[in-house]
Amino acid sequence: MKGSEGTFPILVGIFALLVALASTALSQSTTGTVSMSATVSKFVELNSGGAITLTGNSGGGITTNGTVNNPLAAVVNLGELGPANTNSFVTASVPLKLRSNAAYVLSLSATVSSSGSTANEITAADVGFGLGSVVRSGVGVNTTGTDTNATAGDPTLVANGSVNGTTGRYNFTAVRSNLSAFSASTTALSGSFIMNAVPRSNTNGLTVPAIFAVKPQFYETGTTTVVATFTVTAP
Amino acid sequence: MNGNTYCILVLFCLLLIGGVSLAPAQALDISSGGSPTITGALSGSVSGSSSVLNNLSVTVDFGEVSPLNTNNIVKVVVPIAVRSNQPYRVRASLTTSTNANPQAVQTTDIGFGVNNFRAMGSNSRVCTRSSHIFYSPFNNDPSSGVTINASGRAQYPSDLSDIVGSTTILSGPRLSNGGASRATNDGYIFDAILVITPQFYAPGTTTAVITFTISAGPAVPC
Repeated sequence: MKGSEGTFPILVGIFALLVALASTALSQSTTGTVSMSATVSKFVELNSGGAITLTGNSGGGITTNGTVNNPLAAVVNLGELGPANTNSFVTASVPLKLRSNAAYVLSLSATVSSSGSTANEITAADVGFGLGSVVRSGVGVNTTGTDTNATAGDPTLVANGSVNGTTGRYNFTAVRSNLSAFSASTTALSGSFIMNAVPRSNTNGLTVPAIFAVKPQFYETGTTTVVATFTVTAP
Repeated sequence: MNGNTYCILVLFCLLLIGGVSLAPAQALDISSGGSPTITGALSGSVSGSSSVLNNLSVTVDFGEVSPLNTNNIVKVVVPIAVRSNQPYRVRASLTTSTNANPQAVQTTDIGFGVNNFRAMGSNSRVCTRSSHIFYSPFNNDPSSGVTINASGRAQYPSDLSDIVGSTTILSGPRLSNGGASRATNDGYIFDAILVITPQFYAPGTTTAVITFTISAGPAVPC
């Protein structure tokens, strides 16, 4: 074949290259890798810590109770708050349960609206508020964590209120001891991470009672509505 | 040097190159065993070749593993193909970032097991005188053996902390018929299973790499 002396080496070269490439394509390896990554974001949770306790009430009652480990959406009727109620205080203790994998802040924002029109109507300052004892217990809970209660605790404590010598009206006088301090979202409790590395199915956590109290007085007649909204965050 | 001599030299060199790449391939090989899968993830993913002809290079993102992920467990199954013309062993070694916070994700928090050994096809060597053996404690599906320890933390029959140095997880007799070049039907596939339970871990990110290596194994008959 004319010119075959030049064509043959090229064809052989291409063939050999294909063989080499084919071998490379099928080349094998004695190692392989599986690379892994995972992300843990900050997580906080607020639920009911259990049934609400209502004491000192005359009439009224718990309309929607708290159910432990379920979202908190309680409704309480404090009943009669005029002098017809001869108890020292009407008190509602609402258990809260908090869980987090990071430092947390529990804030409260409250509104108080009364049907009255005078200074003698029930105001936010007349609704005592405080957080009771903070308890970290149970398997999976960071029991060595610390918490800072920004309230004065149980508002019915003697140290937290007294009759105003000028007006005669009972006042919750301690720092953050009534809802006027929470007209805007304000920190009530903060602390270090609550849960160790345990699954969400672990139902333990930090529990704390939110205590609301009203001292029956000669308030202006009418009705009052209090809405308290708790929010937990991980700043 | 005339044209034919030059041609022969080129041919020789190229065949030599091809031969070099082919020679070890005939002995021992590890590759993808098919598409990896992930279940129970929140914003997670897994990627790897679906072809058993491609190298094993899988990337797993377990995604969110805090309680924001309300699934009970995140599970990843990675099929791995192995081929050999001799007895073999498969080892696993681990590289991981260390997190000193004990509440962060640790190697004990990622379950790791192997199972489901199966033939690829007609050129898978069937040996009757020796078995393919998954080594304890890895011979399990860790998603089926989740328990809670005294601290309330999830644990598994085997996990990444059981990989110490280069740890044998599988061995057995010859895997492939013929020359055992990488084909779709000439070896065996097993599943590597990785799981993690969403928990109240300390926030952060965790990374780890498992390297699987196939090498000559115990001299068992086929």
